[in-house]
Amino acid sequence: MTLRFTNWLSRLSPGTWVVLVLALGSSVIVFVQGKFERTGMPFWVFNKVHFTTYQPFVDRWNSEHPGTRVDMFLIQLDAFERRLLSGFTAGTPIGEILETERRVATRTFLGPEETVGFVDLADRLRDEGLLETINRPSFAPWTSRGRIYGIPHDVHPMVLCYRADLIEAAGIDLAVVETWDEFARALRPLMKDFDGDGRPDRFPLAGWPSNHLFVESLLRQGGGRYFDEDGRPEIDSDLNARLLATITTWTAGPDRICTDVPEQVASGNQMRRDGTVLCQLMPDWMVGQWKRDLPELAGKVKLMPLPAFTPGGRRTSVWGGTMLGIARNAPDFESAWAFAKALYLSPELAEVTFRGTGIITPVKSHWVLPVFSEPDPFFCGQPAGRLFIEQAPDVPVRSSSPFERLALERVKVAAIALRAYANREGKFTTEALIPEAKRLLGIARGEVQSHIDRNLFLDS
Amino acid sequence: MSVPASTNTPTIAHKRARGPVRPFPGWAPWIFIAPFLIIFGTFILWPLLKSLLLSLEYSYGPAHTVFVGLRNYRLILGDPLFWAAVRNTCIFAAGSVFLQLPLAFGLAMLLNRRGLRWRAVYRLIFFAPYLVGLVFASLIFSFIFEKRTGLINRTLHNLLPAWNPEFPWLQEYAVITLILVALWLYVGLNMVYFLAALQHVSSDLLDAASIDGAGPWQRFRQVILPEILPVGSFVVMLSIIGSLQLFELPWVLLTNPTQPVPDERGITIVVYLYQTGFITSDLGYASAVGWLLAVVLMGIAVAQRRIVGARENA
Repeated sequence: MTLRFTNWLSRLSPGTWVVLVLALGSSVIVFVQGKFERTGMPFWVFNKVHFTTYQPFVDRWNSEHPGTRVDMFLIQLDAFERRLLSGFTAGTPIGEILETERRVATRTFLGPEETVGFVDLADRLRDEGLLETINRPSFAPWTSRGRIYGIPHDVHPMVLCYRADLIEAAGIDLAVVETWDEFARALRPLMKDFDGDGRPDRFPLAGWPSNHLFVESLLRQGGGRYFDEDGRPEIDSDLNARLLATITTWTAGPDRICTDVPEQVASGNQMRRDGTVLCQLMPDWMVGQWKRDLPELAGKVKLMPLPAFTPGGRRTSVWGGTMLGIARNAPDFESAWAFAKALYLSPELAEVTFRGTGIITPVKSHWVLPVFSEPDPFFCGQPAGRLFIEQAPDVPVRSSSPFERLALERVKVAAIALRAYANREGKFTTEALIPEAKRLLGIARGEVQSHIDRNLFLDS
Repeated sequence: MSVPASTNTPTIAHKRARGPVRPFPGWAPWIFIAPFLIIFGTFILWPLLKSLLLSLEYSYGPAHTVFVGLRNYRLILGDPLFWAAVRNTCIFAAGSVFLQLPLAFGLAMLLNRRGLRWRAVYRLIFFAPYLVGLVFASLIFSFIFEKRTGLINRTLHNLLPAWNPEFPWLQEYAVITLILVALWLYVGLNMVYFLAALQHVSSDLLDAASIDGAGPWQRFRQVILPEILPVGSFVVMLSIIGSLQLFELPWVLLTNPTQPVPDERGITIVVYLYQTGFITSDLGYASAVGWLLAVVLMGIAVAQRRIVGARENA
């Protein structure tokens, strides 16, 4: 019998041996590792920069609070989203302290109220005075059905970043520009055809209807919104139609001032380096990215408030957002809450985060920290932090509707269709485009409404 | 010499009579196929039935479900985005069948010529794109088709100054772009299928046709085409089914940080399914889309079998 078995083994191919050895080896490793033992409150983060920034704070907390240690885990955002939703809806294991971003958080508001797995922090925030301490508009994305489910990590105000080297060399002073009309008039002379093909090779502003950041930010800046206070879509409001028509005149026709510059990819960065585009809408989180990806622009760019749509109008907008929430199933809420406050309200974290990413804290009392007033060589010595902080209280209030993402998508489709209509019909003024804008936004509203109607767990 | 029949029969009867008594006669086949049945039932049949049930519900997680009957199916058929996905998928499938396959067949014919040197090298060159993989190819082409900085627009603008360097391949000609990328990826694979079929065409038949005076066109039409028809219909069916299941290509090629999902110019049926299931969290609706797609795929498979069967019987 032994002889026959040995004979059989000798007939195995090398490939089979490799598979067998891998299978046995991995099985041994799994058994040797044993069961994962939790040593503290699981704290999930999705952003690698946040993870490395928080590590010293977590280490310090653990040394000072050995009885309520925190275990921090970095989880890729899509995996985070799946695991979080599974945990909330099906009770699978999740972290107890959860740092998540807007896209994921709003999805947790889609079902019945009892399925929102975050603890309602509204009373705590009010009782401890944090609603006044933290920038008020920053709570909006984490507020659903009157309850607040997270502490905001940021404000993400938006300013205009411009190529000072090229614009000031042309004798243009953007500091005196107050409205988008003035902006277009001031910079249109810089649109040049360098290669003689009859088309401009330089544009005043980066932006395109297919770019969420561009359309949504500008609509919000102009006072537009997608949902009312009760979560009903008002996408096709007169104001939204006017704003969309105005933006379309920037991207279509002979007087266009915009070009499509991809975000966060090499080709878009090359266009910024080459000066194909002179200005960019810049939320604070983009500062860190530019410093990392576009070091060649150091000392060549400056910041200023966004030009307003009308004189005296809002000079900023908002994009993105992150919050810290506590899971309902956390066995020790008080410790989790204490850690959350220690982390997010820490002035040291505000400073480290700003230095590393350019993101300003929503904690208003920290806005006086010297770090925010330091001259930034990347922005020609401007105090970048101060410029963002000046706009922070004025950022638009955003909806936390779970249908927000769908609305963004449908408005983008309407914006693309409106640009095509403008080119097809040769209509390039705001007034001429408003009726079509209204019609297209009406279609978008209908589509969002149909999705809302499909939901049998929401009241409105 | 021959053994009398009477000597064998009692022996067998004797053996049967002495065999072990089986407690459950007739169960043996079931025990043998039990592993398959358990795996099939657990991982195929049960999820299929659950998804069918899910398609008749509105749900938010397993604990919150409401039976809605055929409401999901009704809503799907009234959703313009679904029809945009159907249109895009059909255009892509048409591009695969009427552009990709003729090209693959043409290449196979060229490589099948007698006396062709470096045949294996050519075969590798044409087949190599398939080895790149769908996701990598989509990433590569997302750069190649970019406005201004993309290789295609830059090259065309350099060759033809009138060419718009901002030509929006990915934004406004999404389905055409998908067809072109799929052409690059799959033409080599389909060529290998056709080449294999062509190499199995009997040279005796071709020689006989030549001796009978058949020209190249007649040999192609009367000998080669009937011989490769089963493989051809198989490749057509694979292309159509693959087109209907298209997901990775548009998902990677047509998305970027500011466009997280393909819009109606590039959406396909499976992207629509994924979007409704995993982005708008409507799993019942997504299941209904999946079942509609499954019915269409089954219909195509049945039609293909009938067409091929009818030709083979003719």
